[in-house]
Amino acid sequence: MSDRSQLISTGTPFQFDKERDAEFERLIKRYPTRESMILPALWLIQEQEGWISQEAMAYAADRIGTFASKVYEAATFYTMYHLHPMGRNHICVCRTLSCWLRGKQEIVDYLKNEIGLQPGQISDDGKFSLEEVECLGHCGTAPVVQVNGEFHENMDVDKLKSLLATLK
Amino acid sequence: MQVKILSAKFDIKDANKIKVAKKHGAYSTLDKVFSMPPEDVIELVKNSGLRGRGGAGFPAGVKWSFLPKNTGKPVYLAVNSDESEPATFKDRYILVKDPHMMIEGIIICSYAIGSHDTYIYIRGEYTTQVKVLQAAIDEAYKAGYLGDKVAGRDFKLNVTVHRGAGAYVCGEETALLESIEGKKGQPRSKPPFPAVAGLYGCPTIINNVQSIASLPFIIAKGAEAYRAYGTEKSPGTHLFGISGHVEKPGMYELPLGLPLLEVIDKVAGGVWKGRKLKGVIPGGSSTPVLLPEEAKTVTLDYESMAAHKTMFGSGGIVVLDETVDIVHLVKNLIDFYHHESCGQCTPCREGLGWMLKIVKKILRGDGSMADVNLLRELCDNIEMKTVCVLSAACTMPVRSYLDKFRHEFEAYVAKNDSSAAEAK
Amino acid sequence: MADKIKLFVNGVEVEVEAGKNLIDAVGAVGIEIPHLCYHPALGADGNCRMCLVGIEDGRPPLVPACKTPAMAGMKVLLDAAHIKKIQHDVMELELINHPTDCPVCDQAGECKLQDYYMAFDQAESRMNVPQVVKGKKMDFGAGVVHDQERCVVCGRCVRFCRQITKTGELGIINRTDDARVNIFPGRPLSNRYAGNVVDLCPVGAMTSRDFRFKQRVWFLKKAPGICHGCAKGCNITIDHNREKYKDDIIYRFRPRLNEQVNGYFICDAGRLSYKAENEGRLTEARLGNKARPIDDVLAACTREIERAEKIALVLSPNCSLEQMAAVQALAEKLGAFLSGYSDGYIKPGDGDGYLIQDDKAANRAGLGLLGIDCSREAFESAVQQAQLLINFNNDLTRSYKESDLKKLLQGTKVIAVSSHDTPGTALADLAIPVASYSEYAGSVVNCDNILQSFAKGLSKNNDLADICAIAVQLGSPLGSPKERFALLQQSISALKDLEPDKIPAQGLNLNDSEAANVTA
Ligand SMILES: Cc1cc2nc3c(=O)[nH]c(=O)nc-3n(C[C@H](O)[C@H](O)[C@H](O)COP(=O)(O)O)c2cc1C
Ligand code: SF4
Ligand code: SF4
Ligand code: FES
Ligand code: FES
Repeated sequence: MSDRSQLISTGTPFQFDKERDAEFERLIKRYPTRESMILPALWLIQEQEGWISQEAMAYAADRIGTFASKVYEAATFYTMYHLHPMGRNHICVCRTLSCWLRGKQEIVDYLKNEIGLQPGQISDDGKFSLEEVECLGHCGTAPVVQVNGEFHENMDVDKLKSLLATLK
Repeated sequence: MQVKILSAKFDIKDANKIKVAKKHGAYSTLDKVFSMPPEDVIELVKNSGLRGRGGAGFPAGVKWSFLPKNTGKPVYLAVNSDESEPATFKDRYILVKDPHMMIEGIIICSYAIGSHDTYIYIRGEYTTQVKVLQAAIDEAYKAGYLGDKVAGRDFKLNVTVHRGAGAYVCGEETALLESIEGKKGQPRSKPPFPAVAGLYGCPTIINNVQSIASLPFIIAKGAEAYRAYGTEKSPGTHLFGISGHVEKPGMYELPLGLPLLEVIDKVAGGVWKGRKLKGVIPGGSSTPVLLPEEAKTVTLDYESMAAHKTMFGSGGIVVLDETVDIVHLVKNLIDFYHHESCGQCTPCREGLGWMLKIVKKILRGDGSMADVNLLRELCDNIEMKTVCVLSAACTMPVRSYLDKFRHEFEAYVAKNDSSAAEAK
Repeated sequence: MADKIKLFVNGVEVEVEAGKNLIDAVGAVGIEIPHLCYHPALGADGNCRMCLVGIEDGRPPLVPACKTPAMAGMKVLLDAAHIKKIQHDVMELELINHPTDCPVCDQAGECKLQDYYMAFDQAESRMNVPQVVKGKKMDFGAGVVHDQERCVVCGRCVRFCRQITKTGELGIINRTDDARVNIFPGRPLSNRYAGNVVDLCPVGAMTSRDFRFKQRVWFLKKAPGICHGCAKGCNITIDHNREKYKDDIIYRFRPRLNEQVNGYFICDAGRLSYKAENEGRLTEARLGNKARPIDDVLAACTREIERAEKIALVLSPNCSLEQMAAVQALAEKLGAFLSGYSDGYIKPGDGDGYLIQDDKAANRAGLGLLGIDCSREAFESAVQQAQLLINFNNDLTRSYKESDLKKLLQGTKVIAVSSHDTPGTALADLAIPVASYSEYAGSVVNCDNILQSFAKGLSKNNDLADICAIAVQLGSPLGSPKERFALLQQSISALKDLEPDKIPAQGLNLNDSEAANVTA
């Protein structure tokens, strides 16, 4: 893990849109404590904006009625929360055991050399971002790549090429 | 070799839909369950010998009987669907192919332990899976299997899905509870155990998805029918995941107790590309590796694994062919566990990072024998000194590689020595 | 008294209090179990693993002492080789990413990590790979400066802000060895007790902007004291030092444990009130606004007293009981009216129900116990009738606007017996400098009716007289401490059968005695 303490400020206050607002209110009834909403609230923010800003964290804390430090802790602990904007297509390549054994490196190398994408970076045109992630629970169909939440199994460079071609 | 107990509906199209699932028997055990006193359900599960499928293999019925009675507090059930141990990919099949089997299991367990609130903790990466699961739960509510009156009985049950967000440690049961409570997933010191003080300080049972999903069969067919599979101490079937260097990797349901090598050969098509076997990780990346000789005698059950100084774990078998660079593999493993350390307790937080830097140094060709020895010593210094066993999940396998493949580490060091000599 | 149980430590039987964890139970009989994250006021967290001890025949055989209740018959192993090794190993891991520049660290000398290293490691570092890099000198607000690299992530500071002040400014963010303490951007420490995180921090990761690098702690002399910042009377340690060719000055106040009064903490205002002991002091006797030898001024005072037909006396609610007794006897001798009027010391609404009180005086309860009138009416009418007012350190500008005070004092001469050079002192015709509370011994009664004694903390180069002595010089008959105590015994029944040196260290709770019902 790397340091995730640097938050990005948008300079404008955050607010849930109507749909997330309703979802927040629906979910909060499912828990006996308001703090249980920290993870779900962060997910709602990310769904709405694609990432989580400093203002959005403060909003979540105030809305839930908890310390901003607690939301900050959760947002930096759980690595799926994006603390800065990502590419339009967020590519996660599994780097763990079974995927490593079955050639994940070729996939990463292809993205590095052909697309110029480094893990942890966003392409200049904002089209892609790449992240090497830990085991995605699809080791039997390794190597796997997850793009915008969709799993792509038994990957190889050819399949990757045609997958990338479909992305806008 | 393969059997179809848990996976009975996996090949049926749309079995995740309640209509189809019901046609194939879903929710058919509820009449029977609700006619039994809860203690009898616990007794039946105890008799079945069902052991927790999350990795530790603790008998499910026994765990349930630890719940204190009449505390005046609600009892919670948390279903562990974090499935993040590398090489483990079984629960996901249940969530997607037969979620109603698990929901039925949740009803059975909740009735037995007197719980009215279940939280299913699902790892955040399971984005498509969570949608299928939530749809199934919504259907179950609509069909009256969840909600205020479960199957028309005077039994209330709510099921809530709670999504993780990228943290393997949340599979550890108390970290999972912390995460539901909105905190960082940092394991709690035990005692108190969750059965006494768990979620929101209330008595809580945590079971793995597969453990819960095994219940409908046990209720429907009885303890003996379940014990007809597997061994005396490891009864039943398991969804094994076979990955790595085999011809046909995948998830296979097998009774416990089968010989490991036979399974690799007959079920998974053997070592790929006609290569030789170098080693087998028997139960997820945290279990100590077996050399081919050792693998010859081991069977897929808790006792045999223990006798071979390794563990059944999550049943995630990884086959390593002769080309594997063990030092590199160890780096890959430490990298994972270090990345996933919750950062709470000193030995794990500081120690795994140190181990990672040392193994990288060796891999770079900058290492010395002292570094190899230090790596080995750190395994001992860290293990069992920590709040949870995540650190041991790293040190146990790493120790096994250092002991069984020491020559590979030495070879890296020797390269360093010779290049140092050349430089002179 | 709590129940006692017997257990064994390293094979030796010890008797300890039941119901405590092992650290506290055996700590009370002088056996220290190393620990970093546990703090009695914050509970056990179990993260540092420094406190691992062996339990012979125990299941499990290795437990964190902070999380383990002491039980009868337990066989605790601390000295065993394998336990020593664990302590050493945990210590090593604690240190690998810690800066190794103790000589330039502000905490040096009062760092737990340094202590433990000295006690059982002292080994050459085997760390030959790069350390984790984190933030330095971070401004956390409220005068607290944080060094993330020195932090051992014990979470004490975080728990303090969540459990004690309930303001929750701090968090431990990230995970792995990247975990670190931080504030949420734009929400710095903003509670009135923030300074406590500096004391709580077992290492040098939290420092006080005020104290940082002013003194090496081993030069500091420590004296126990009572904070006079408000009616709580929190127990403090006065850290002071006399540098060569200079006067003895105070460098900081730190909280001192008193379960009955303040627990482990003090407020920030109290913590910083040490400055007022060093600065703004009245150091010379004055006639008009001219400095004169004290004997001349005292002689002038005596003349004024003889000349005046009616005299009024006023006392500060910060005076000690002994000072009040001496002045009360003086008033009686002079046939003067004695007032304790000091409403200006009260800041309504400022108290917080925890330590901070509305009343910014340390001994208002003492005024009550001695039956000293505190009403404004009585004070004003006495002043108006008197030709002379002797003011014993009561800062009247707290209760009056300066113009109103001038009006009130028209036609009345004022002798100010003062520790500080306040605007009020400037209005006086005669001024006599006296010691402040860190420089004399005495006792005060706090807002909860707890009587606490304190000793003289430090001696200045030019040691000023105690108000008691000045009162005697002006004619009070209570010449000796014994006589003063006897007068107190008359007014405070709880003191009746007590020797002056028998007041318990934790203070004497007057509510526990009949005194509670007897208002003098
Ligand atoms: C670091 C760590 C990770 C774990 N991950 C999982 C997991 O992903 N899924 C799971 O079911 N159990 C996991 N476990 C085991 C759980 O703590 C717990 O034993 C299990 O969920 C209990 O369910 P069972 O008795 O049905 O197996 C993990 C344990 C540890 C220490
Ligand atoms: S062993 Fe590691 S993961 Fe477990 S509590 Fe300690 S730091 Fe966290
Ligand atoms: S700053 Fe000090 S008190 Fe806070 S976590 Fe770090 S070491 Fe502990
Ligand atoms: S190792 Fe890549 S999905 Fe499990
Ligand atoms: S004092 Fe017990 S673990 Fe830190």
